[in-house]
Amino acid sequence: MKELTCIVCPVGCHLKVDDQLSVSGNKCSRGKVYAIAEMTAPKRMLTTTVKTSFPDIPRLSVKTKDPIPKELIFKIMEELDNVIVTNSVKIGDIIVQNILETHVDVVATKAI
Amino acid sequence: MIKTDLVIIGGGAAGLSAALAASDANLNILIIERELILGGILNQCIHNGFGLHMFKEELTGPEYAMRYIDELQHKNIEVLLGTTVIDITKPDDFMLTVTSEKDGYQHITSRSVIIASGCYERTRGAIQIPGERPKGIMPAGSAQRYLNMDGYLVGKNIFILGSGDIGLIMARRMTLEGAKVLGVAEIMPYSNGLTRNIVQCLDDFDIPLFLSHTITDIKGKDVLEKITIQKVNERFEPIEGTEREFEVDTLLLSIGLIPDVTLFDSLKMEKSDITKSAIVNQHLMSSVDGLFICGNALHVHDLVDWVSEEGEKAGKYAKAYILSDEKQSREHLKVNPGAKIRYVVPQLIDYSHLNEPVTLSFRTTEKMIAGTFKVYQNNQVIMTKKAKYIAPAEMENIILQPDDFISFDPITVILEEAL
Amino acid sequence: MYDYVIIGSGIIGSLIARELSKYEVSVLILDKENDIASHQTTANSAIIHSGHDPKENTLKARLCVAGNRLYDELEKELNIPLLRTGAFVVAHDEEEEKALEELYKRAVNNGVQSIHFISQKEILEAEPLLSSSITKALSLPSTKVTYPWEVAISAVSNAIKNGAEFKRNSHVVSIDKINGTYRIYLENGEPINTRNIINASGVSSDHIASMIEDDFPLKITPRRGEYFVLDRKAKDLFKHVIYPIPSKAGKGVLIVPQVHGNVLLGPTSENIDEKDEASTTLIGMKKIRHDLLSLSNQIPYHMIIRTFAGIRASSTYDDFYIQESKINKGFYHVAGIDSPGLTAAPAIAKYLIEDIIRINAPLKKNFDPMREKPIVFHKLSDDMKIKLIQEKPKYGNLVCKCEKITEQEIIDAIHGPVGNDTVKGIKKRARAGSGLCQGGYCEGQVIKIIARETNQPLSHINYYQKDTPILIKETKIHDKN
Repeated sequence: MKELTCIVCPVGCHLKVDDQLSVSGNKCSRGKVYAIAEMTAPKRMLTTTVKTSFPDIPRLSVKTKDPIPKELIFKIMEELDNVIVTNSVKIGDIIVQNILETHVDVVATKAI
Repeated sequence: MIKTDLVIIGGGAAGLSAALAASDANLNILIIERELILGGILNQCIHNGFGLHMFKEELTGPEYAMRYIDELQHKNIEVLLGTTVIDITKPDDFMLTVTSEKDGYQHITSRSVIIASGCYERTRGAIQIPGERPKGIMPAGSAQRYLNMDGYLVGKNIFILGSGDIGLIMARRMTLEGAKVLGVAEIMPYSNGLTRNIVQCLDDFDIPLFLSHTITDIKGKDVLEKITIQKVNERFEPIEGTEREFEVDTLLLSIGLIPDVTLFDSLKMEKSDITKSAIVNQHLMSSVDGLFICGNALHVHDLVDWVSEEGEKAGKYAKAYILSDEKQSREHLKVNPGAKIRYVVPQLIDYSHLNEPVTLSFRTTEKMIAGTFKVYQNNQVIMTKKAKYIAPAEMENIILQPDDFISFDPITVILEEAL
Repeated sequence: MYDYVIIGSGIIGSLIARELSKYEVSVLILDKENDIASHQTTANSAIIHSGHDPKENTLKARLCVAGNRLYDELEKELNIPLLRTGAFVVAHDEEEEKALEELYKRAVNNGVQSIHFISQKEILEAEPLLSSSITKALSLPSTKVTYPWEVAISAVSNAIKNGAEFKRNSHVVSIDKINGTYRIYLENGEPINTRNIINASGVSSDHIASMIEDDFPLKITPRRGEYFVLDRKAKDLFKHVIYPIPSKAGKGVLIVPQVHGNVLLGPTSENIDEKDEASTTLIGMKKIRHDLLSLSNQIPYHMIIRTFAGIRASSTYDDFYIQESKINKGFYHVAGIDSPGLTAAPAIAKYLIEDIIRINAPLKKNFDPMREKPIVFHKLSDDMKIKLIQEKPKYGNLVCKCEKITEQEIIDAIHGPVGNDTVKGIKKRARAGSGLCQGGYCEGQVIKIIARETNQPLSHINYYQKDTPILIKETKIHDKN
């Protein structure tokens, strides 16, 4: 039996999930979905920065467009270490497409 | 000498939305921003969680700021970047002295001013953490800026004091960028941050949270070497024998934000000891006519969405102030924080101009699963609002309609726990 | 071969250097740290005492009173800040009033001028926040307050102007005697030859002495003092230095207005084992609050912006030890300089050179005693500000918003013979980071300005000592380690 706190909304229900993936303690259905995902394939949104070639703006803030597998977080961080943005970008521009085969793009969250 | 109708001090979330709300073809509006870019603290808040209420989307800080900066382009609002206000007086209209490398020393007169200058972070000295004074101790926000904007880590082995959201966010951020965060200490028996941040920032990375603990010693001559934490009792005094040491090179302090308003002491606006900022009425006007204040400079917010809403209000009422010709008389009733309420903003309601809903924003003194907020006037309840998962870290509000008031006597906001 | 090498660039070493630079001799000042005056001189009450406290007929008494007067001269020549606060020593009851009488007699014997008693009414009129339990006070009008590290830095600056040399990061590890002269070895192996050595090394003075002689007649017994610093918005809450009746431990916990508006509360007085354990403690900080209750119950503790501790070079010797070594000619000790060391410093320098060394080198004909008044931009008139910004636009860029310090002032603190390239060195000179937010806002900008002005990468800019970079690692740059 695993206990966890749902992070989908500010209520933060205390959930219990058993080995058969039966969920209790959730006040809505999103909690159930979250709990099962947490037990089988936990995902997270990643927000971070990448290098640029602009001396006045050495870092560009980016995010994954969608949640990515939790266990890939540090690998994605390592992969993003190699990025250098050399052109101006708009918010939403794709910086890295389909990062590490997750089918999730990494996009700019700042315009430079 | 620049002459203008409205000066907005600060081009962050509060100042941007105030400027947009005040904008008018007939008004000269000027935003004064000390950084070389607009956006304020949002520029370094590269994480998610902004705009859920305002835009029904989950945005990062820079994205949220851009929504407002983009809109600014379409208005006739002037912006002075890299410019700092160093003095402000009110001989007749407001007289501001500003300085910048580009334009030098200038004076600006303005009929109205909106203070949107944000906060500064509480320092080690302000809470007198004992120990040596080596390099490696800094506010969490400074470390955030160095990391997210300059691209530098300030340490490799980190301890964080304070479990508010900035401390939790930095615990995750430093870890992602290759540092090791050995723990977070929080003096209260509960965390001040959002539960989702405890999960996403601490649990995800197995970073321990030490509730009811504080830092009681710091060791290191030139650079930080070790910190000691201790459990505290109900009176927040350290308990002997509970010492734990951590070998770290960095201590990040996330111990509170304080409105950055000392510049305005010369105007002698009335201040609240609790919020450490101006006392305002429902128009967000201070005791100085024409001086409005909004955002973190007025009281520390936890959601930028409410900062923007407050900025809108300040902008709207500042515009009304400038455009109205009559010298306004104001009659105020007091808004008092009662049982289990730490403070309420606004602290005053101008009842001679009570023709719109009044939003009371407040913070509670304790955590509660369910409770009812009540507003009393003349010993009668004039408004109630039920709420769940109440916490001091989460600002609440109640909206009063003009005809909810039964008199012009003081009102009191209280919180009752549900049984 | 130098004529004189001074070990230590605190207030003592730096004023000795300046005094020596008046003569036709070569002078080198060494400091083991990364900046001038890094220890005691930066952690004391900043008081120029009147001389009421030291025991009669001691060097401490004589040089304190003489030093107090010499600060007026230093103010004119070096343009150092000097606040003429005066002081009250306060009593609460008959016993304390008797002690006040003893202090009065002592002050008279020590040569202190213009001292007189004042009544409770006069005390509370002059200082409305003092406790009404105070019954009588001794007024000491000659008491002043200065900015000690600025005095040291300006003294070294003036010494250099007049031919002296200064080397930082010069840790003395051994001293040899060779044919009547001395060879000093630094940590980096570099040898320095000199005819005379002046040991002005503070808490290390017994350690330096032991490098060349056994049986040095005193042992340093470090004594720690903790302090609170109130924000400069506390200016004018107290106008005088307020002393309680002194005890065996020392002058007691004081209230001390500072030159830039801050107020110091402290110090405590505690014997410690480690010479460099400059920690503040929960007990020490409680003691400050407890002891101050008898002086005032209206102290705005919520205005504390910083706490610090200093370590006094107290010793087993009962007075200042200013003597030539009994064994090694040309080796001069200026040791055991605890309170009133800061006050006595200019007089200690003269006494050492005129009465102990009895220097026989001629005076320089072209000695220039003056240091130009430093620009404190926010204090200038509007016209002066506009004029200066036109010449140097970086006076227009405000960097430290709390203390109103401009970029140009920071640039000026970096360069020059007594400039420094560390964040704390800039804080000592230009005051950026000394205010309410304690550098939370300006530290990043200061680091960038130092890096640009000294052509160094950001990750090399130190907080204070060598190898204390604030930005330790640029992210996303893969290097070999």
